[in-house]
Amino acid sequence: MTNYKLSISKINELFKNKDLKPSELYDEVFERAASTESIIHGHLTLFQDENIKKAIDSDKRYADGEELGVLDGIPIAIKDNINISGHATTCSSKMLSNYISPYDATVISRLKKQGTLFTGKTNLDEFAMGSSTENSAYGPTKNPWDPSRVPGGSSGGSAAVVSAGSAIASLGSDTGGSIRQPASFCGVVGFKPTYGTVSRYGLVAFASSLDQIGPITNNVEDAKLIFNSMKGQDPLDATSIKETNVPQPKTENAKIGIIKELMEDGISEDAKLEVHKVAKLLESQGHEIVEVSLPITKMSISIYYLIAPAECSANLSRFDGVRYGNRISGSTSYEMMEATRAAGFGSEVKKRILLGTYALSAGYYDAYYGQALKARAMMKKEFTSVYKDVDYLISPTTPSDPFKFGEKSDNQLEMYMSDLCTIPANLVGMPAISIPTGLSSNGLPLSVQIMSPANTDNTLLDFSQSLEEIVSFSEVPSMIGDKK
Amino acid sequence: MNIVPTIGMETHVELKTNSKMFCRCHVLDTDNPNESLCPTCLGLPGSLPVPNKKAIEFITLLALSTNCSITSDGMFHRKNYFYPDLPKNYQISQFDLPVGTEGSLEIVVDGNFSTVEIERVHMEEDTGKSTHIGSGRIDSATSTHLDFNRAGIPLVEVVTKPLIKSSKEAVSYIEELRQLVIDLDISEGRLEKGNLRFDANISVAFQGDKELGTKVEIKNMNSLKSLEKAIEYEIARQSKMLENKEDIIQETRHWDEKKEVTTSMRSKEGSADYRYFSDPDIPNMILNEEFVAQIRNNMPVLPSQKRKIFIDSGLSIEDANNLGKSATWIGDLYNSVSTITEDSKTSFNWITGELQGQLRKLEKNSLPTWLTPENLSSIIKLVKDNKVSFTSGKEILAKLIEEDINPEEFAISNKLIQENDIDEISKLVKEVIQDNKEVLERIVNGEEKLIGFLVGQIIKLSGGKVNPSVAKELLLKEIN
Repeated sequence: MTNYKLSISKINELFKNKDLKPSELYDEVFERAASTESIIHGHLTLFQDENIKKAIDSDKRYADGEELGVLDGIPIAIKDNINISGHATTCSSKMLSNYISPYDATVISRLKKQGTLFTGKTNLDEFAMGSSTENSAYGPTKNPWDPSRVPGGSSGGSAAVVSAGSAIASLGSDTGGSIRQPASFCGVVGFKPTYGTVSRYGLVAFASSLDQIGPITNNVEDAKLIFNSMKGQDPLDATSIKETNVPQPKTENAKIGIIKELMEDGISEDAKLEVHKVAKLLESQGHEIVEVSLPITKMSISIYYLIAPAECSANLSRFDGVRYGNRISGSTSYEMMEATRAAGFGSEVKKRILLGTYALSAGYYDAYYGQALKARAMMKKEFTSVYKDVDYLISPTTPSDPFKFGEKSDNQLEMYMSDLCTIPANLVGMPAISIPTGLSSNGLPLSVQIMSPANTDNTLLDFSQSLEEIVSFSEVPSMIGDKK
Repeated sequence: MNIVPTIGMETHVELKTNSKMFCRCHVLDTDNPNESLCPTCLGLPGSLPVPNKKAIEFITLLALSTNCSITSDGMFHRKNYFYPDLPKNYQISQFDLPVGTEGSLEIVVDGNFSTVEIERVHMEEDTGKSTHIGSGRIDSATSTHLDFNRAGIPLVEVVTKPLIKSSKEAVSYIEELRQLVIDLDISEGRLEKGNLRFDANISVAFQGDKELGTKVEIKNMNSLKSLEKAIEYEIARQSKMLENKEDIIQETRHWDEKKEVTTSMRSKEGSADYRYFSDPDIPNMILNEEFVAQIRNNMPVLPSQKRKIFIDSGLSIEDANNLGKSATWIGDLYNSVSTITEDSKTSFNWITGELQGQLRKLEKNSLPTWLTPENLSSIIKLVKDNKVSFTSGKEILAKLIEEDINPEEFAISNKLIQENDIDEISKLVKEVIQDNKEVLERIVNGEEKLIGFLVGQIIKLSGGKVNPSVAKELLLKEIN
């Protein structure tokens, strides 16, 4: 019997009806991990032994009818840039190979309160910088659909383990598409909430004004469930926001805009066809499809690659070997810090720190970082004005299906372009979801991305759930199929 | 040509909030290192800063009381530099939108009023504390010990315009600022504890020159005395260089307390690039009118206001300023006593001299409950009306500090009331002269110091009841 592709609510029903115990599901997921991890390398660490007792505790709660909620006993994988007390948080960097976090991220403490189990920590591009998980200091994660291809990134491990069935769901972080792009490459659902709805406390910062934690799941319903279990203002995160009442988009007879600029050059035919296919399905459901123009989205990559590196250049300064992490000794404090950073960071991280340091430097700030801030403000305005006319925006999640290892590592710009469609949601702060809808001509998953105005997350999720139903994408990677 | 110095002061004031600026760690006064730490003030991966509301109220209070304009939509910036005791290797500070700008502070220099122009008042977090072993400096230390108890304690930086003209003015400014933060109850204001830490920017130029000279920053002045000495040393050093047409380098210099000289720390020629940018972890700081009005309405009496009350009561600027630096209850006592005695200077002298002196000897920091403005005033009046001698007055005061007495009754029962009847005293004077003719002769021959001897004899004869100055006056009249 396989349960790892069931929805969380279905599993919860099995638990409640005593048809399945959390400890049994837990064992099943770890058996799954034992057979898939050697191929895909999605988890950096597995918490198997440690959590057996916790799974049995969960069994007891269900037996006594005292379960803590629908997530009680559900094994969820956590991206290794989110702190779990007593466990390593490596950020897939050599810098933190020996670092054990003394505290829980807010999302972790909230999930723990609901009895959630954790399978372990998942692989990522070092400090979440990358789109292929090739930048991990601990080796890349492989795509369960085709191990010669990348799972996407930076949350490649989190997407791959859900796709492969070695976790029921996972948490990722999304700074420029790091949840949605790997979800798309691995044929699962990825949701980036409105900036500030989910606390960032305990998420190792890459670019603070863009980072947001979100779920990667087998279906939209699970994403909604996990999102609602961890959202909410946090006194430990000053940028976290209260739930605000804003006009919600329509879910019936809605108006949906296809972003013209994200259907042009650089987008594969397959990806475009997928959007048109979904648009037709939506039309058949009584929704109206229009084309909208958001010219500033063409500048997304440029804006992003000034703002994100600038913020990261300061965020990553704390990794100096003085208080924690690896230390390379030197004859003076400064030599020690220099040697530590030289040895601890990988080349992509160094590249971005340099880029950001340059963009913030005296004499360049106005020309680079300052300009990027202005362009970002303009982008927010453009989106706000488009949302006056449409309820949702639709685009491909990624310009193409998953690429092969090494295919884009020589062409930095092309690699960066793979985030073209996902970056605007981070710059604007609005929610965005990637939903798998079909297969490419290579037989690999393709997704569409749907976006809505800030603070309309649950409406977007409801709408996405109805879309998911009509699309009824049911393909799974062959490694799963073999097992079925 | 005359050389004129120009001085600007940068002062860090440690606020006395219960918790740190961006986390909930307690602000501890302890020598045990690393006792009050959390992921945020230690800069652990994933931690975030959340501003302390009390600290923002405190800085707003300070900005308002230094007549600053309040920035209604301010923000925190990151100031980037690497240093082992700076946990994040950036300091959360303020840049172009500080809490307060363009203010001023009234100070007293040599008994006259002066005004120091304030450029900005901004909020930031303190760093940890480094102890360099084997040498006082980081680059030559064999090892460095780090204590992060201080990391994240709220600091206000007050920056003056470079318009201060002398070391005395700089010292008076720090004294005034210190008094202000104490009266506002926002800082302990203890220099020896590092609650107030100041750097001075000093330049010199020939009088009439349109441009200021090259600025040199002086650090490591730990007391008002070292501030005064360091500024004077630096002015002299730079003046000599200017006269000799030597180039003054823009640099940071270290005040060497032992040798009483400044030595070069690092050259600032390249001027450090801190790459300030708005901290994305902290939303903008909105200080709306309502908030500011609330702070303004709860403002305590400021040192300048206290000073004005004292001056209006008849004290000199100097005395008023000194009284303002005393504890609040002393100022209050003065106000009551001077109203009763209608003699400001005498009241001031008794309170700040005799009373405080006696209390200090007894190591007391407050008045006994029975020592009221009324009974203190009656002692002052007894002395002022020549009913008791000054010495007896001090004696009565000592007794009053000890126990609840009525000063007048005490003076009578202890026979301290002086004889003021001139005829009676004249009789005594004549009697003493009669008995000491030889002494009188010697006085006439120039041995004036023997006058005191005769006065003593008169007092003795009276049983201590005669006012010595009256006795002396009558004696001299008699001799002449």
